[in-house]
Amino acid sequence: MSHSPSAALPVGHYAYDDVDRTFLKQRVAQFKDQVERRLSGALTEEEFKPLRLMNGLYLQLHAYMLRVAIPYGVLDAKQMRTLAHIARTYDRDYGHFTTRQNIQFNWIRLEDTPEILNVLADTDMHAIQTSGNCIRNVTADQFAGAAADEVLDPRVYAEILRQWSTLHPEFTFLPRKFKIAISGSQQDRVAARFHDIGLISREGENGRPVFEVFVGGGLGRTPIIGVRLRDDLPEEDLIAYLEAVLRVYNAHGRRDNIYKARIKILVQALGTEEFLNQVNAEFAAMDRARYRLPESTVEAIRARFGAPDFAPAGNAAEKLAAQRKADRAFDAWVHTNTHPHKQSGYCSITISCKPAGGIPGDVTSAQMDLLADLAERYSFGELRITHLQNVVLGHVRQDALYDVWQALEKNGLGEANIGFITDIVACPGLDYCALANARSIPIAQKLSSRFANADLQREIGPLRLNISGCINACGHHHAGHIGILGVDKRGEEAFQITLGGSAGDGDASIGQILGSAMSEDETVDAIARIIDTYLSRRTAGERFIETCRRLGTAPFKDAAYATA
Amino acid sequence: MDRRNSRRDAEGTSVITANRLLDGRIVWLAADGQWTTLIQDAKLYPNSAVEEALKARNARAQEEALVGIYGVQVTETASGPLPVTSRERIRAAGPSVHPDFTPDWHAPHPAPYA
Amino acid sequence: MPLLENGQIIQDTWQIAVEGVSLPAGDVLVPLARLSEGLGRNSDGRLGVVLSSADEVETLRDALPRLDVVALTFPVFRDGRPFTQARALREHLHFKGEIRAGGHVLPDQYEFLLRCGVTAIDLPGSSDPAVWQRAHEAFTVAYQPSILKEQAEGFAFRRRLA
Repeated sequence: MSHSPSAALPVGHYAYDDVDRTFLKQRVAQFKDQVERRLSGALTEEEFKPLRLMNGLYLQLHAYMLRVAIPYGVLDAKQMRTLAHIARTYDRDYGHFTTRQNIQFNWIRLEDTPEILNVLADTDMHAIQTSGNCIRNVTADQFAGAAADEVLDPRVYAEILRQWSTLHPEFTFLPRKFKIAISGSQQDRVAARFHDIGLISREGENGRPVFEVFVGGGLGRTPIIGVRLRDDLPEEDLIAYLEAVLRVYNAHGRRDNIYKARIKILVQALGTEEFLNQVNAEFAAMDRARYRLPESTVEAIRARFGAPDFAPAGNAAEKLAAQRKADRAFDAWVHTNTHPHKQSGYCSITISCKPAGGIPGDVTSAQMDLLADLAERYSFGELRITHLQNVVLGHVRQDALYDVWQALEKNGLGEANIGFITDIVACPGLDYCALANARSIPIAQKLSSRFANADLQREIGPLRLNISGCINACGHHHAGHIGILGVDKRGEEAFQITLGGSAGDGDASIGQILGSAMSEDETVDAIARIIDTYLSRRTAGERFIETCRRLGTAPFKDAAYATA
Repeated sequence: MDRRNSRRDAEGTSVITANRLLDGRIVWLAADGQWTTLIQDAKLYPNSAVEEALKARNARAQEEALVGIYGVQVTETASGPLPVTSRERIRAAGPSVHPDFTPDWHAPHPAPYA
Repeated sequence: MPLLENGQIIQDTWQIAVEGVSLPAGDVLVPLARLSEGLGRNSDGRLGVVLSSADEVETLRDALPRLDVVALTFPVFRDGRPFTQARALREHLHFKGEIRAGGHVLPDQYEFLLRCGVTAIDLPGSSDPAVWQRAHEAFTVAYQPSILKEQAEGFAFRRRLA
């Protein structure tokens, strides 16, 4: 092993102690009891459903689906092996990484679930609040603790929010689900403006962080960009302020129509000013001392995170440069799949879970085991799942990249397509999901095959392609430069194309629908023509999204619906 | 119940389906009153008689350990009943992206509970 | 109906106002619409008020010192507004009397109710009290402060449940 952490603490995530473990075991016992009461008839299906959802268990099209939480997307090698074990033992040998940095298993049996939760708890994992009308898994920047432009490590705050929101007595039966994201740099890599609450941190005057607070953003059937409630929320008021927002929402969010129950609808109905007034009134009236987040608490949580023990850079950069020169395919992969690291001699790598013609986000148990081995060997045992359904090794020495790439290549994980058109985000769609109108995966596979040529992808350049199988928008189609939305046309599947969406970096926008829905094959052809239009109309160095904004949708619409 | 599930014409033929409570798997009501994993074995009902049959089966859902019982309109084909909607065709056949995961799929390595 | 307090069944001595009938003597619970009638009642019995989940607890501010019970109502267990009502009664209005929760509540919500300031549960007719008693003893740890004066458990916001 080339690295060993300086302490016994896991690198990149919070280390559980006996109190945390006791908590999990008690919750597993509670779920076991709930299952027994359901089987005996003491709980009706209507009553049981929210309780199982609170533990991540859905009844989908073919079976139960279990969504396991990966807090702020970080897990360690041992935990990844637990996921592989679950895939092999209780499922069909694979899992699916989600856009909320979690993993889901598609073929779970209700009767096995208490045991699975126990197995998860043995490596400090759970499925709590991965579904249901509660505060969901808090997401964070996938390059946290590594990115060169980072102001502070958002994972410490994401962990504080995870703990605070876990089985919160007041906020576990909200009008609807509630999603929080936090970015540790001014570069918004978490789509903060598309969350119920989005937090962007920066350093304040006394060296402690302050937060910009966005509220009421979201996708789904009413895509809205969040409004800024606070510009400079001090660290010590973070919990108190979120309590105030959630209290207003819990008391006044609509409960008569699930399609109008998200906080974004409340913010729109009241208007930003009135919503802000109500939050401020609550914030002023509350017992602030009780909810104060003192520096000592932040530091106590931070002390439970292991930090990587970096080695001197040596000639790592030179060695990498030579290897890139010698191997063109490796060079292309380094170009697309690595991200600058704050530590000299290191970089972060993004491992593509989008092989040509494959299912976006699906990995086999053998691949999970390989990822665990690589993390252990090359990245201090730490792995991250991204909201674009890929895997990141945060801290890899530059002179180890070639070895890592070769191992990935051999196991179907070496695709050099991060940020390109085949780095497709897709929900499970009608192949699995009980809510879907159309299948997302087959059209993703066709597009991935259509654009598989590496030179063509490079030629097209950065392009986000997102696919949702229904208006609930789990594939974030509104936020894709190109979005595809599955619809139901009298019982048959059809697809709408949206254009011009974007998730982050200060230019969030919502994609515009091009026109009427088409069949799967027509849609694939239409997208090929949209790409041709871009390639012929772009100015030098202009990215796809920029051409869309400059030209508007008209020429792309003409291309999409051209039948000649 | 999901409105899309009960998309039935006045005329026509349907079968009855549900998910098993214990493992979530899809089942179809056969002529002998048993539930089967294969739609080929499902009993055909004229649509005029489906509501009544559903009512009777729903009353027994807890004792039969079933959830989400509903009727699915089908056309009769040489290879058995074929649902009219793509959703129900996928339910009957398994996910299209894993042709090996047919309704009678078995784990190559039996799980510990088997 | 049986009343549950501290995980134990106790006798409920309160009467509920009957619509269209004048208020009886003794301890009585009135709906919000009949609060002033209750306050003006010429009786030495105690008074409580029944809120729906849509009512604003703020409307009780003036009357609260003269109330012994506030009864919150879950129209369905998924409607989480009574949690906020209970917590606001304790935290904002400093109500020291009994807060009851009734309607469609589940034993799986018992811990949450207690930590929001509810003190008694009006058990639904079909409830098994043993399941509620179990729920009362099942958990020893929570992850956030509540309106109860719970001891810290180690660091951060963790609390030891009695």
